[in-house]
Amino acid sequence: MSLIHIENLSKHFKVLNRREGLGGAVRDLFSGDYRTVEAVAGISFDIEAGEIVGYIGPNGAGKSTTIKMMTGILKPTGGVIQVNGLTPYENRIRQAQIMGVVFGQRTQLWWDLPVIESFKILKEIYKVDQKTFGDHMGMFNELVGLKALYSQQVRTLSLGQRMLCDITASFLHNPQVVFLDEPTIGLDISIKAKIRSVIQELNSKRQTTIILTTHDLGDVEALCKRIIIIDKGKILYDGDIKQVNALFGAYRTLKLQIDDFSESTLRELRKKFDGRFSGDHGITVAETEEFWTDVTIDQARTHLSDVLSAVMTNFPVYDVRIVEISMENVVKQIYDGALE
Amino acid sequence: MRRYLSLTRASFQEWMAYRLGFFFTIIGNIVYLGVAYYLWSSIYEHSTVIRGMTFNETFIYVALGSAIFILLKTYADWIISHEIREGIIAIHLTKPLDFQLYSLFSSLGGILMNLAAISIPTILVLTLVFKVQIAPGPGLFLFPLSLFFAVLISFCFDYFIGISAFYTESTWGISITKDVIITVFSGALLPLQFFPDTIQKVLLMLPFQAIYHTPLMMITRPDQGWDVFGPMLVVQAFWILALFLLTRLYYNQAIKVLRISGG
Repeated sequence: MSLIHIENLSKHFKVLNRREGLGGAVRDLFSGDYRTVEAVAGISFDIEAGEIVGYIGPNGAGKSTTIKMMTGILKPTGGVIQVNGLTPYENRIRQAQIMGVVFGQRTQLWWDLPVIESFKILKEIYKVDQKTFGDHMGMFNELVGLKALYSQQVRTLSLGQRMLCDITASFLHNPQVVFLDEPTIGLDISIKAKIRSVIQELNSKRQTTIILTTHDLGDVEALCKRIIIIDKGKILYDGDIKQVNALFGAYRTLKLQIDDFSESTLRELRKKFDGRFSGDHGITVAETEEFWTDVTIDQARTHLSDVLSAVMTNFPVYDVRIVEISMENVVKQIYDGALE
Repeated sequence: MRRYLSLTRASFQEWMAYRLGFFFTIIGNIVYLGVAYYLWSSIYEHSTVIRGMTFNETFIYVALGSAIFILLKTYADWIISHEIREGIIAIHLTKPLDFQLYSLFSSLGGILMNLAAISIPTILVLTLVFKVQIAPGPGLFLFPLSLFFAVLISFCFDYFIGISAFYTESTWGISITKDVIITVFSGALLPLQFFPDTIQKVLLMLPFQAIYHTPLMMITRPDQGWDVFGPMLVVQAFWILALFLLTRLYYNQAIKVLRISGG
């Protein structure tokens, strides 16, 4: 039987429709004007022991809500959810013993205490024996040199150091499954790489099942064999990363800042590309934020350098950035049928 | 049990991290004691006994009342509603801990700190500076137990308000209201003997009096017998059981509507 079994799971929230301004705030005091938000709208999947699964999607897709249902914090509105054969919501305390959780934007460590104190408290909370505790801390010390941080107050740690400590903490009681919710958010490249290698190491050494939520497609490419993509509470894709990888890999977005930008600039760009590249060239143009124009290129069909030179020679470009495809764009491509 | 005691130790250590705040709390409390002393001694200028209480008894009641008032502030209402608003509660709920006991034992750390910083200094000042005499008797020994019971009852009220944040998100107004109700109805502001007889009878049937009135009666009239103190402790124990059970049921309902910010 699979470690995590989810079937037609849904979660609805009732949200108060808030009005604008001071007058609106006062009227809201007596308002009964609620709307229902479907954060998770009927999803199903199974996860086997030992897997690393990337659970990804744009902001507000329902990722964290799913995680909170798997950890037993939230009660599902409907459907079946089982972790290790038990319903998390009904067995929260028992289930917590076999789970580890990292919420990237919050810490589970005691903010005002030295790092080592937090580990000692968690050791008591999870009833970890002295030997296991020593082995675990020794292993982490080897992996990331944690010892140097022991006497530092948690609030004085850098974001990257804190994240390493948080990950250590979540593996302390040797859980069967660890949920990592945005573990690399706001971190620089080198610390991201370190965190990825630590996660990889732990998964292979201990066979810990890992469910990774992230915005960073780099994390997913580095760690996961399988990904589940969710948007608007529904699963868009569940399967091998290889198929989707082509999608991530092939697309690049050229971000352009063009002098004297106007509505017609977008039209001119499209016209220029249609003229220069024949047939189905796979280039899309869109204005994303003020003054910035995004040109997304499918490198399987058109070379980035050709597009770049076409732009540079014909438009007064003030600034250029080349970025890997964003989560939002991947989701858009899937909707447009890129995986079919 | 050890897993919960480690929470108390952690929160005690966290309170210790802010030393300056505590030194000021000690000073502020001593100033308050001085003001209360002169206020009540001028009220007692023309009579030795008011409503059956001597100056000595009243002053101990009022002065210790303030020291206990701080001891009984578990802040569980503020902490829980803050954690719900900020979404931090999600982290606690991923731990293999009962939420009620988690909150209680975390609160105990702050209470121990207040015991060291405020209650013990107050008792020292009362006995050494104001030369207040406390008559020996069984009440003197029962007082700490009764006080501990009072902390548990007070916690239940704070926890109840805190859990209400599952529904209301903010509990600022409810917390303030609760503080006022407890201060007045428990005899913290004014000894219950000063209330009209009928109101006194009603107040003695409510749980609030078990927070202040009961432990303070033991310390102001410690020479009374078991026939007085025994029933008082039984009443306290009854409220602890009742309120712990009620707040547990309330939590089980409230947790169902939990929304956590951030996704």
